[in-house]
Amino acid sequence: MSSTILDPAAAATVAGPPAREPRKRRSSTTRKTLGDWMILLVAILIGLLIAVPFFLILINSFKSPADYNAAGPLTLPTDLYFDGMVNFWQRVDFPEKLWNSFFISSVVAILAVLVSLLNAFALGIGRVRGRTWIVLLILLANMLPQEVLLYPLYFMFKSVGLYDNQWAVIIIFVVIQSAFGTYLLASVLGTFPKEILEAASLDGANKWTMLWRVVYPITKPTLSVLVIFFFIWTWNEFLIPLTFLVSNASQTVPVSIAVLQGDRLMDVTTTSASALLGLLPTLIFFLIFQRTLTRGITAGAVK
Amino acid sequence: MKKTKRTLSGAAILGVSALLLSGCSGGAAESDSNTLKLWHFESETSAMGIAWEEAIKVFEEETGATVEFEEKSFEQIRSTASQVLNSDEAPDILEYNKGNATAGLLASQGLLTDLDESVAEYGWDDALAPSLQTTARYDEDGIMGSGPFYGVPNYGEFVEMYYNKDMFAAAGLEVPTTVAELETVMKAFTDQGITPLAESAAEYPLGQLWYQLALTKADREFVDDYQLYTGDVDWSGPELTYATETIKDWTDAGYISTDATGFKAEDAGTAFINGTYPIFFSGSWWHNRFTTEATGFEWGTFLFPEAQMSPGSAGNMWVVPEKAANKELAYEFIDITMRPEIQALIGNNGGIPVAADTADITDAKSQELIGNFNILTERDGIAFYPDWPTATFYDELNAGLQELINGTKSPAEVNKQIGGQYQSGVDDIVG
Repeated sequence: MSSTILDPAAAATVAGPPAREPRKRRSSTTRKTLGDWMILLVAILIGLLIAVPFFLILINSFKSPADYNAAGPLTLPTDLYFDGMVNFWQRVDFPEKLWNSFFISSVVAILAVLVSLLNAFALGIGRVRGRTWIVLLILLANMLPQEVLLYPLYFMFKSVGLYDNQWAVIIIFVVIQSAFGTYLLASVLGTFPKEILEAASLDGANKWTMLWRVVYPITKPTLSVLVIFFFIWTWNEFLIPLTFLVSNASQTVPVSIAVLQGDRLMDVTTTSASALLGLLPTLIFFLIFQRTLTRGITAGAVK
Repeated sequence: MKKTKRTLSGAAILGVSALLLSGCSGGAAESDSNTLKLWHFESETSAMGIAWEEAIKVFEEETGATVEFEEKSFEQIRSTASQVLNSDEAPDILEYNKGNATAGLLASQGLLTDLDESVAEYGWDDALAPSLQTTARYDEDGIMGSGPFYGVPNYGEFVEMYYNKDMFAAAGLEVPTTVAELETVMKAFTDQGITPLAESAAEYPLGQLWYQLALTKADREFVDDYQLYTGDVDWSGPELTYATETIKDWTDAGYISTDATGFKAEDAGTAFINGTYPIFFSGSWWHNRFTTEATGFEWGTFLFPEAQMSPGSAGNMWVVPEKAANKELAYEFIDITMRPEIQALIGNNGGIPVAADTADITDAKSQELIGNFNILTERDGIAFYPDWPTATFYDELNAGLQELINGTKSPAEVNKQIGGQYQSGVDDIVG
């Protein structure tokens, strides 16, 4: 029953690591046709294309500047060179930036999912009149380019004394991320089986218990996917943190990477190294949660 | 399902503990009357970074005040300065970009302090050549060249020829002293199958070469007309016609590769470092990098032959925000950075000081660089950069030159096109 609430993103995570059992069964019963092989080939090619920038970062992170000048960006490093990474680490006090990014992203992820769920409960299950327009209005936060929002937000947060404060960034991203979350969850909850809700209200559940005892447990797989997305999206944000986090002590990882971009010169190898350092935490985060997630979702489906 | 629950609540606990631990971090630092809040965006190993670190030490010793220094990214100062300087988070002093669109704009908005009194008191103007003062002064519309001082530059920059001595020696060639000799040198390389000029038309290098060619035929009046809007620029006049036609001729002769349309400055620079091209016409900002990275061959520099003027300017400068809490300390700090010993530190680490005693410069390569710069300033030969007049001209010039190189437009058509774009941009500014 909870298969209805799987969004495409969740479906993609399910498809990610090949589930062992179905594949075995399939290879024993049906032979792969030429078409299957073609599709596999195309999929591998697309996968490689997507991975190319990552490989370039990886290669150049461990290359010395001399090596880069001599052989360009496309060759493998002649020997491993860690100075770029170490220099960057010390120059920006990386652990501090890592903590800032982690703090902002996780608070945003949790709060934004909470706000999304509350909104979506009202819009999807509560069936508020004119909900399409409300959802559209909320989505504006997501559709407007951030450059447009920058100045109004700057004056607002300056007047309430939150300029140069991480909470400014947290509040902004909770709103922006929950706009998408509300849109997605509202349509998911719009198809929520009425029978369950009716049964619950017959048992005497009020709206609050219905939300936390019925809707929340069933939508949990979708919510956890949203947590991951919000975390990664917030982690990678640049423009708004750049504007609102003035002091170095409060800055995030992507903002600190910009230190390496000079007026006229760029340092490709150190920039790659810093990009790798900035990317690793999100990758690790995703790998940890992705495993448990897929298990959770499939477990839910069987039940 | 159980796993998910545990993971989710784990994430929730992490988030909440983050809330508790961090509290309200990044709050406003209280400004203290004995603290100088200073920002700049030079890395600590660069010439300016080294010199300013010493200046901070001297400043703390002499005044007893403490310096609260933060290294900012160029990007952050560039894109958020107007917001930060309008708030209580403004530092007492910061390094900021010179130019109409940057320092000029902030000055016209009243965000920067008028430094005229301090300039007179400390005599900084005596140390700065007239063409270096241009970018430090802005009028009420934020146009550089006249009006009060809003900044004090510490270093300069200019564009010159870098050449690969080993490749010149192998081909039996000498440093050219006229444009005709330069063309002979380039011809000799082309005959050997070597493209002589490392160029990039996707970014600034080719535009600077084009401007340099125009400067070989130009005088100071042309530069003032072009840069400071004091008169009309004739886009079919001898200077710009010669520049565009020469780029075309050099491309046709193979001195400039048509591949340059897709090259960035970084590509041209690394191609010079790895010895693909023998000549690179670009800025002094490469000097330090070539010193440390172009170690496979001997290289040298010379000013563009037969030119009285070259692209160049004073560097980015110290500005004092109008909202700064401790302006007097900021002035004292600026004065320390202008002292000969701090200026010599800039010079000995690959930068170009604006007020150094040449006798203090010990490194031979740096002497050559600073010598060339001093030759230029002494003959009033700093001519700024081609893209300065309007905010969009950088891209328009690059696009025009790309079309010129790949042959889609003739020199006359290109000049007509970029001339029109230049004029409409200037009309918007001058009104």
